[in-house]
Amino acid sequence: MTEVEIRDEQQIVAASKKNARAFGPLYEKYFDRIYHFIYRQTDDEDLAGDLCSQTFTNALNNLPRYEFRGLPFSAWLYKIAGNEVNKYYRKIKGKKIFSIEELKVRELVERSEEGWNEELIARLIEFMKDLPTDMLQVLELRYFEDKDFKEIAYILDITESGAKMRTYRALDKLRKNFNLNVKYDEPK
Amino acid sequence: MSRNEIRMRRNRLTGHGADRFRNYGVVLERHERDQRIKKILKVFTLFAIILILIMLLIIVFRVEKKLEPTSCHKRQDDTSIYVTAITGWKNMPCSSNSG
Repeated sequence: MTEVEIRDEQQIVAASKKNARAFGPLYEKYFDRIYHFIYRQTDDEDLAGDLCSQTFTNALNNLPRYEFRGLPFSAWLYKIAGNEVNKYYRKIKGKKIFSIEELKVRELVERSEEGWNEELIARLIEFMKDLPTDMLQVLELRYFEDKDFKEIAYILDITESGAKMRTYRALDKLRKNFNLNVKYDEPK
Repeated sequence: MSRNEIRMRRNRLTGHGADRFRNYGVVLERHERDQRIKKILKVFTLFAIILILIMLLIIVFRVEKKLEPTSCHKRQDDTSIYVTAITGWKNMPCSSNSG
């Protein structure tokens, strides 16, 4: 996102603080992304729709408290959405679901010695089930949402170096267990 | 026991699924309702605080009134200081009680 785009967004945010109707363009711009982010963590369309609406309602309700920190406005929305999802799982006391697209995993993992097959997928799923939730969250934001470490740190309320460390640890585990080359490069 | 549930999807996420839930009108309505509730809560809290303060004042006044010494005891205290100074007696009986 360019500086100009971020500045334009902040103008809409400033206008929305005075009049909630001005928030419409931001809602339209980010609805799909936030919906998909929640859907990946629930695997339920209706639930994702509800939590997404709640996310935007909370964002509007708390807009006067929003502070610009040099990040796109979407980072704040992701943070609220993440909190909503966590709140939901605390309420139902259930296991957290991560619904991952196979194609994205293929993009993430470069094949080296092991060929991409059904067995590898099954093993990968089993392996990911035992990864700590915070590692999965970081991986998800980094490789499925294409967020940089600064944004990840803000969304998860951790330090930037903490976000990097969690990512590298998760990728190292993947490497060791699957003999795979995992990209470390910055997302586009 | 595993910590999370991982589900692998073969299909990519598209915007079509989300369209069903896209409705800014509903979000705006919810926001306005929340703001109304917030205002009502604010007024109610203010009212409750004022009420508590008034009750506290009343309680303080009543306690002060109860602690205020009766006229007899006041007289007794004054006299007892005088008598103690002259005779060394410490407990001067109240005139109404003694009579």
